[in-house]
Amino acid sequence: MSLINDLDLKEFTDNSVNNVFNTMLSMELKQFEADSQVEVGDSRIVGSVSFAGKAVGTIRIHITTDFAKIITCAMLDMELDEVEDEEITDVIGELSNMVGGNLKSRFCDSGLTCAISIPSITKGSNFKIESMDWERCEYFGFRYQEYTALVEVVLKQGK
Amino acid sequence: MPLKVLAVDDSKTIRMIVKKAFKSYDCELFEGENGVEGLAIAVRENPDLIILDITMPVMSGIEMLEKLKNEPKLKDIPVIMLTAESGKENVMQIVKMGVKDYIVKPFKGEQLIERTQNVIKLKPKKTKKISDDTLNKYFSADGDIQYLALPENVPVAVIAAIEGHLGPKIKEMSGSGKNKLILDLGKIAKTNMPLIKLIILIIENCQQSGVQLQVVGSSSISNELKEFQETSEIPVFQTTEEAKAAF
Repeated sequence: MSLINDLDLKEFTDNSVNNVFNTMLSMELKQFEADSQVEVGDSRIVGSVSFAGKAVGTIRIHITTDFAKIITCAMLDMELDEVEDEEITDVIGELSNMVGGNLKSRFCDSGLTCAISIPSITKGSNFKIESMDWERCEYFGFRYQEYTALVEVVLKQGK
Repeated sequence: MPLKVLAVDDSKTIRMIVKKAFKSYDCELFEGENGVEGLAIAVRENPDLIILDITMPVMSGIEMLEKLKNEPKLKDIPVIMLTAESGKENVMQIVKMGVKDYIVKPFKGEQLIERTQNVIKLKPKKTKKISDDTLNKYFSADGDIQYLALPENVPVAVIAAIEGHLGPKIKEMSGSGKNKLILDLGKIAKTNMPLIKLIILIIENCQQSGVQLQVVGSSSISNELKEFQETSEIPVFQTTEEAKAAF
């Protein structure tokens, strides 16, 4: 039995996301059951961090550009009209790093020693990211007011 | 002479959070985006403290720390590591590297200051005249009740000035037995994130100093405050009379 299948990804992800959003942004997110079909919004930003080691995979946080702006304002104490693209990219990258780092720690504590990459950002409209050939491919939805964040975790056993 | 603090992190966001955390203290902040830049600044400025991220491109925090420890002129500079990873193995590795302390992300600016105070002695920045004027303008007293009435528009500079005065003011209230504060948000039409953070800071300061707090504001402000975990439980009264009666 693969250790990957024993991981409680739902709990790990919920704790990581809420810890980061509560501490850094004073935002309380509510988790909901989700799948790959959850509508996040057309204009999207996706923050990704990858794992390599005994656990191999990626965590991706999908949010709309509007929500990303609100998050950036909250993080940097700025007004909506002051926020620039560079700041949004940096904030979403750092949030992904924190959530990914937290998950990585839970994997390591479960015997799946791994390292994480620096975060990367994908931006655009009407795009789809296909995740194939993973042992685990799970989606977790989070709501804050009228905004949705979709967290996608893909994992497989490494060497 | 202000203390020199060097923040080394590839994320501008984290560097801004660090800068904001230290802004009330007599510090000069230097920033580096990676270990290479951090080392160069450390050699040039000989800082009193280095706040160092681990995962960075070009040169990681771990590599930079190794180089610092091998450099006689730099090896004694205290280092606080920042890490997004709280796993046992990661923590053990950090501890073995001889750092003064480490902070797991996410973290609040206040936590960073608290940890820093254990390593170096921070002194509050000398208060400017504008802040005294601000204090007199927004704080007032009526018997044993103190009032903090915020204006319709609260510029970020005013928020910063009030933040700077808040701690000493609330301690003074607590020490003199005048431990009732009414935060009057009645003139405020709409909140924003800096204002919400100021309100949260006021609540936290009052809780820590045993000062009773009542809040006055419109129903829309009341609804907005319910959206935030730290302010969701606090009752908001429509008038100051109702707030006074609630003490």
